[in-house]
Amino acid sequence: MGQTLGLTWSKKNILIGPEALHQDPRPKTDQDQDQDPRPAPSRTDGGGGARKEAKKKKSETSIGVSSNGSISAVGALFVYLITGLFLGVGVWVARYKFSADLVSDPSLTLFLLWSIEFPVVVIIYSCLRKDPERCSCSKAVGRSILGLVSGAFMNALGAISLGAPIGAQYLPKTIHWSFLMSVLTFVPATAVLGASLTDWHRVFASMKPNENIEYMILVPAYGAVIGGWFGAWPMPLDWERPWQEWPICVCYGAIGGYIVGQIVSLCFMLLLGKDKNLKVA
Amino acid sequence: MSTEMTCTRLTILTVAGIFLQIIGLSIFVFGFFPVKPTLSGVSGSESYLHPLCDSEPNTNESEIHPEKLRLLYEELSGISSRYDRLILMVIDGLPAEFVLGKDGQPPWNVWKESMPYTQSLLANGDAIGYHAKAAPPTVTMPRLKAMVSGAIGGFLDVAFNFNTQALLDDNLLGQFLRIGWKMVMLGDETWIKLFPGLFMRHDGVSSFFVKDTVQVDKNVSRHLPNELNNDDWNLLILHYLGLDHVGHTGGRNSPLMASKLKEMDDIVRTMHLRAMVDRSHDQGQTLLIVVSDHGMTESGNHGGSSYEETDSLMLFIGLSSNISDYAGATNNLAFQVDLTPSLALLFGVPIPKNNVGVLVPGTLNSLRDFEQLRALELNSWQLLRLMQAQLPSSLFGSFSCNCFLEGTCEGFGSDISECSGDKEKQLICLFRNAAVLHGIWKSKKLTKSSAVEDFNRALDAYNAFLKTASEWLASKTTEKPVLLLGLGVSAMFLSCVVCVTLFLSLFKEVYNGPKDQVCSLNYLLNLEGVFILAVLLILVISMGSSSMVEEEHYIWHFMVSTFYLLLLFKTVKSFSFSRGLNSLGEYKIGSIFLLLISGRLLRGWHQGGVNWTHFTDISKWLEQAGGSYVKWIQLISSFLVIGLGVFTLFRTGSKRKSVRIQAFGFSICGFLILLHAWRYQDDMFEVSTNDGATVTAKVIYLILSISAVGGALVLPWSMQKKDKFLVAIAGDYLYMIGSAYILCWCLLQLLLQQPINSGPILLLLIQILAVSCLSSKDVQVNEWVEIAALYYMGMAGHFALGNSNTLATIDVAGAFIGISSHSTILSGILMFMITYASPLLFLLSLVMYIGGKLRNHSLLAHSDTDLGQLLKLKLGFPCLVPLCINSILLMAYTVVLLLMRNHLFVWSVFSPKYLYVCATTVCTYVGVCIVAATVAYTLSVTSFLRSKTQQLVD
Repeated sequence: MGQTLGLTWSKKNILIGPEALHQDPRPKTDQDQDQDPRPAPSRTDGGGGARKEAKKKKSETSIGVSSNGSISAVGALFVYLITGLFLGVGVWVARYKFSADLVSDPSLTLFLLWSIEFPVVVIIYSCLRKDPERCSCSKAVGRSILGLVSGAFMNALGAISLGAPIGAQYLPKTIHWSFLMSVLTFVPATAVLGASLTDWHRVFASMKPNENIEYMILVPAYGAVIGGWFGAWPMPLDWERPWQEWPICVCYGAIGGYIVGQIVSLCFMLLLGKDKNLKVA
Repeated sequence: MSTEMTCTRLTILTVAGIFLQIIGLSIFVFGFFPVKPTLSGVSGSESYLHPLCDSEPNTNESEIHPEKLRLLYEELSGISSRYDRLILMVIDGLPAEFVLGKDGQPPWNVWKESMPYTQSLLANGDAIGYHAKAAPPTVTMPRLKAMVSGAIGGFLDVAFNFNTQALLDDNLLGQFLRIGWKMVMLGDETWIKLFPGLFMRHDGVSSFFVKDTVQVDKNVSRHLPNELNNDDWNLLILHYLGLDHVGHTGGRNSPLMASKLKEMDDIVRTMHLRAMVDRSHDQGQTLLIVVSDHGMTESGNHGGSSYEETDSLMLFIGLSSNISDYAGATNNLAFQVDLTPSLALLFGVPIPKNNVGVLVPGTLNSLRDFEQLRALELNSWQLLRLMQAQLPSSLFGSFSCNCFLEGTCEGFGSDISECSGDKEKQLICLFRNAAVLHGIWKSKKLTKSSAVEDFNRALDAYNAFLKTASEWLASKTTEKPVLLLGLGVSAMFLSCVVCVTLFLSLFKEVYNGPKDQVCSLNYLLNLEGVFILAVLLILVISMGSSSMVEEEHYIWHFMVSTFYLLLLFKTVKSFSFSRGLNSLGEYKIGSIFLLLISGRLLRGWHQGGVNWTHFTDISKWLEQAGGSYVKWIQLISSFLVIGLGVFTLFRTGSKRKSVRIQAFGFSICGFLILLHAWRYQDDMFEVSTNDGATVTAKVIYLILSISAVGGALVLPWSMQKKDKFLVAIAGDYLYMIGSAYILCWCLLQLLLQQPINSGPILLLLIQILAVSCLSSKDVQVNEWVEIAALYYMGMAGHFALGNSNTLATIDVAGAFIGISSHSTILSGILMFMITYASPLLFLLSLVMYIGGKLRNHSLLAHSDTDLGQLLKLKLGFPCLVPLCINSILLMAYTVVLLLMRNHLFVWSVFSPKYLYVCATTVCTYVGVCIVAATVAYTLSVTSFLRSKTQQLVD
């Protein structure tokens, strides 16, 4: 079972691989401009966000995923299980097909992890997108690819500002790590929310998610970031363990935080119900 | 606090708290760090004369030919040395129990069978072994120092030798060198660090790779056959690390232990047979001493003071002692420091000055009677000299030089008194008894009557004195007075409580007054506030880990950057997209990005720390790229610092004449600094007293101090505007004074710091300006959070300037710029200013910060408050924040140090860190004092002038 799954996904991986590789240099070349496109859509989409507010109240089916993007706790659990499974598949492929793991070859493993996880996340969350009538599935996929790159750029900037090493030998690791982080944090949000800055602001900055799907993109994303932050703690210690290298323990921390975030978001969904706002701030 | 806190009361309580802290800190420091009362200099021929006789030290002794000096020593001591060669074999971490057994029982069979040759030597009486008690810390370097100098080293003397690990005190190897010995060292490179350039040949191995238990010893033993064939050395030191490594990896019962002991036994056998038995007797004799520097616990660790760790070995092979039974050869006790006087007397060199050890009794058995007593006498004299340095001279009043030369003085007949009373008197009395009995024996030796009995009495009397004196001296250096420590810690705790209570009471007043109660909790417990407190907690926790102390710069940078990111988050959160982006928001985000980028550059400038220093960083990269890049960086930084500083000055007060003068002075200074850098920096190391450089530096000091202090004093008197509020005017002045302070400090640092650090100084200035932009525009972040963040940024910058928690990174070279004659105090102050450049810079920026706050405050038209209230809220509260943080950190670190007093790294990691913490405390005091004085002065002057003008108007 695992064997076949792995095979199919490694094939898919081959399909996606070159595409992803082409994207790799892009953060470097587009770095200067990348700052600009982000505010730009906000002005164009700012009005659209307001219109969406009106359409938000929709009926929901109790089992799984409904057509308009809302999702129940069971559905969320299902989504989490799939994403978790494919993270596992990524590790499995790296270990048994490329005989690499995070410690021995972090760049390759990270590349495999994010390139296997990315299509899954894109497909699932694009189906859960907001406003499915006005926004086609292919558009959601397209914007999530854009989200992947810009999210990776943001994550890389954050990591470097917090002290991630800069240097030729660290560059691929940093890039692949930031792509993985982007898959865990930015891609679901871009797939679901699109470029609506108002929604982004409400969900991520004000931390006022309205629906289950917003819990699903908010809590695991913060979990991954906070987990990565804590994961950096053992790095300066002189234990001389190979996993203390950048970005290995940060990855462990981020994935751990992501999983904890998923569990917490499930708890929120179950406890708070769907119509209450989460009051964190 | 039931009553209203007035300004006076606040000041008095704060000052009282600070004084309590200073007192507590000094009590603790003097209690914890043993201040060793050392005698300086090196023992020479005067050590063979009685200490109470004033003899002029032979000044030209160092010019005497070594061979002549050796003969002189031999003649003066009256002891003929039988040995001409010494092999000192140090087996790191070998507990004496492995060789000699414990409590009179022979060692376990597994150990005994591993060392057959050594055991046979012990059984035959060819060797005599001692349980040599080592003093904590049971770590290699202090133990080696103790073995060769006989002194139990204090920590502060290590701390005061800033850059060198070399042993500068009087020691055996130095004495051997003076009589012309040739020395060879094989093994642990600690010896080479301790005695650089002393060895004729050496091959050091590193103790760094603990997993390596084989190669580390092979590297020592491979030279052994050659060295044993060579005849050109007098002292051969072998230091085997393998056994310690076996212990560290597998503990006492490691399966590797038996084979390692066998290896050591084989080496002992080789050396004994080759160097001692085979060597013909006309060449003199060789003494082989096998010692260990410390023991190990069951799990193989060491550093503390348990019996297992302090039970080290001292094994003499080749002393023709008359001990023939196994128990007599193994069941002996001594102290590790006893090795020094024994070796000194056996090999005919003066006993090192600060030795507290006594002769190991068994080593004397081969000497003749008079030589034995003479040796004990010399040892006693040396200890008496050391005691003289610590006891009042009145205690020695009953002696005079003549008593000893002629043996005739009052009350000094043949009576032997029973010694009692307090310890000091008892010591004098014991010495007198021994001297008297020695005299009796000498006089009776001529008449040959009952010599044996008198000899034994004199011997016992000497041993009694030596034992008591040694214990007394040793306890003087190692004892930690519990009372002092407790008193110090409780005083610090009390002051910490006072500071925090004051802070909390003011906190209530500041935040409860104007705000409505509903949102206050939400307002107070915001994300940044919680984070600032969490940073404090994390710092306190991380101080308990030695590697976190070593790599503290990572924590500071990580925390400060996270704080910037939180600020960014908060700013983004405050946007409302329905109204679109406003310029204020962009301005703020720009400032935060500036902070992030400059913070990351600062982090990358110096790698810092202990473990990862070899990683490349910007400074290394620039230095490799060539000196011209560094010069360009310096030039650009200097120009930008002057530009930014003068711009900040003019931004508020361009119309004032005094400000223009000030700016002119600073510009002149900047160009002088550039001149100094371009003309003198290269040859600074060649010509230490370059007149031009010194004069330039002095002129810079003068102009800077006049501009800063004069500006601060004069500016408040030049009040012109009558229409503005008092607070606003004072705020303007403070802003100007603060920016002048900052500019002055940056320029001073440009002069003093290494050229490579001019980049970080520019970045720090940029950070301060960015923070001042942020705080003047931002009212969302609480005031105390901002000030705490400034303190944290100062500490992050401290590490960014290349400092670390080891004493090795202190920049000594800069401490002599502009000083023509050697002055410890002046260069100490300069060194302090260089080391604490960044924390002081950020504390000084508080003046500017308070000024900015006052200006904003005045916009609220809230100027009816009286001066005291104003001072309390606008000055007292900001000043209390750094004081509180510092006192909490100081308190926490004191507790950590107390808990870690038996830790392996207490002297290498925790104690240097504690010195830095103390210096940070001083730095905080200085900074807060300057801020408080400036702000109080400016506010009082402006309010005085305002009241005066109002009277005139009325």
